[in-house]
Parts: sequence; C-alpha cells; structure tokens
Amino acid sequence: MADPSWSKHVADVLRRNGIRMYATVPDYVVSHVLEHLWADAECRVVTVTREEEGVGLLSGAWLAGKRGALLMQNSGLGNCINALGSLNVASQIPIVLVISHRGDLGEFNPAQVPMGQATAPILDALGIRSIRPSSIAELEAQGDGLIKLGYTRSLPVAIVLPTELTGGKQG
Amino acid sequence: MTLTRAVATRRLAERLTREVVVTNLGQAALELQTIADRPLNCYTYGAMGQCSSLALGIALARPDVRVVCLDGDGSLLMNLGSLCTIATEAPRNFALVIWDNEVHQTTGGQATATAARSSLAAIARGAGIEKALEVRTEDELGRAYDLALRGDGPVVACVKVEKGRAEGRFDRDVLGHARRFMQALAALPAG
Repeated sequence: MADPSWSKHVADVLRRNGIRMYATVPDYVVSHVLEHLWADAECRVVTVTREEEGVGLLSGAWLAGKRGALLMQNSGLGNCINALGSLNVASQIPIVLVISHRGDLGEFNPAQVPMGQATAPILDALGIRSIRPSSIAELEAQGDGLIKLGYTRSLPVAIVLPTELTGGKQG
Repeated sequence: MTLTRAVATRRLAERLTREVVVTNLGQAALELQTIADRPLNCYTYGAMGQCSSLALGIALARPDVRVVCLDGDGSLLMNLGSLCTIATEAPRNFALVIWDNEVHQTTGGQATATAARSSLAAIARGAGIEKALEVRTEDELGRAYDLALRGDGPVVACVKVEKGRAEGRFDRDVLGHARRFMQALAALPAG
C-alpha cells in the first residue's frame, strides 16, 4: 500500500529547489501532486493542450530566468521527444520532468504497456538523467541531487513515478 | 500588392526598443537575423511549432516585458493548441505575428492548409483571442504593430506575405545566441 503523502513529498522537492512555474497535461497520478501546487499561491500551473507545448513554455520561462517543471504521464513523454532533443538538449535548457509511469507493474490497460516499456530507453537515448524512486525515502534521498545535477549540466532531468511509490491507477 | 516578409520585418524592427522578439526555426529567424540582429532576439533552431509556446513562457515569466513572437503558418499549424493556451492565460504583454505565405517555405514551398480553406486568424478567434487580425496591406500592418507593441494583449496578427526564401546566411550559433539572449533579458530593468 502506497503512503498517500508521496505526492506532497514530490511537490516539496520541486518547491524547495526554487521551481515556481509548472506546465501539465494531467493524469490521475500526477494530479495528486498538482493539488499541492494549485493550492500554493506562489506556484503558477499552466495546463497545456499537449505535453510538447509545456516543453516550449517552460523553456521560455527558463530563458527569462524562471525554473520550471512539466508534470505528465509517460505517454506524454512520447509527445515531447523532438522538442526535448532539438530544443532543450541542443540549446542546454534545463527543465524537470515529473512522469507518471503507466504500463509497468500492476497495469490493467494493454495500450499503456508499449510506452511503459519505452520510457527509460527514451530518456536514456536523449541523455536525460532520471531517477525512479520506489519509496518516499528514495525520493527524499535522490530528488534534490537530481535537480541540482540538472541545473549544473543545464539539461533536462526526469523523476519517474512508479506504481510502487504512487499506488498507480486501479482499473 | 502582397506584403513581403522582409518589408514587414523591417517595419517591425524600426519600432523596437526593449521588446523581446522570438522567432520560429525557419525563414522568420533568418530574416530577422539578417535585418535586425539584437541581443533581445530569441531565435529558435529546433522544435518546429514550439516558438509560440516558448514566447508565451517568456511573457509569463517576465510580465514587465513585451514579447512579440514571429511564427510561420506551417509552424503554427503544428501547434494550434498553443492558441488555446494563449487565450486561457491571456498575457497582456504578448503578441503573435504569423508570416503566412501559405507554404512550407524552408522545405521547398509545399502548400499548407492556409493555401486552401483554413484561416489562422479565424482559428485564433475561435480559440478565444479577441484581438486576432488578418493583415494584407502596409496600413493594416501599421495598425497591427500599434496593437502588438502598445495595446493590451494577447494579440494575434496573421500577415499574408509573398512566398520566397529570406536573403542572407543563417548563423546557427545555437548556444551563443541562447546565452546572449538570457543575459540581455536578465539585464533589462523591470519596466
């Protein structure tokens, strides 16, 4: 049974690293994180129509001096690949990706599985460093360091949220 | 007589002071770089379709600075949802200018949907942007720039321009231009 406070820990890792601009195409899992961000007057959350748009928007915010994070499902990672490569990696624009991992342990929908399996190889192929914490303790041990590394390299990084951490979506 | 992108770019450049200008990855970038390169220009070199979203991000992060985005019809057609996000966020400091030559110019001039039936100004209005104009003459262009540079945004101006590639040689200093832009914008006093 996942500890329901996981979502606040994710929101807190982002906020204590100075991230105030957020873009999202919500899914069931990341919406738990969004609840904390929507309730925070210091955080601006822009709901975009497609995840790639969020990559563009947060890249602009970075060029204007603001740190940003994109919250989405791993299906949305597929919608962002070209922008992450040709914009963020090519121009060294850091953003933090927070990715709900569908299509892995406990999945009920066969259509989610191919992208579930492709998630880690896609991130690796783009050179995007990621963590996949299976507990709050792991998230707390790795989250700050990952985000710091992202801004040190000036490249995107990803926090992948597995069902062991979040409880996933029950179908 | 149809406007050209070069003339329309020059008319804009003559009026710029402390505005940020963001361009898409194709002819708009080369044209602006050739006619009026400046540190507050933000050229994009990849991520086709994303320049209006990137410009929106700058506008939201720096509400004290006016942001003008120069997009193309082919590029915006890849990211029409951006118009809905612009309408929803409704930044007052944001204008989207579309060089609509009805073709994918950079790839050899293949027709886009605006050559047939689609109107980007009408799509922008449908997305909820009230100040969405179609521009065909120099007078109309002047009025659109008045609105884009002095009025309350968001503004969308779809400028019908002649087909044709931009003159000049593209300097693709991707990292150098990004760094120069960031420094110039960071140094720009709050206005």
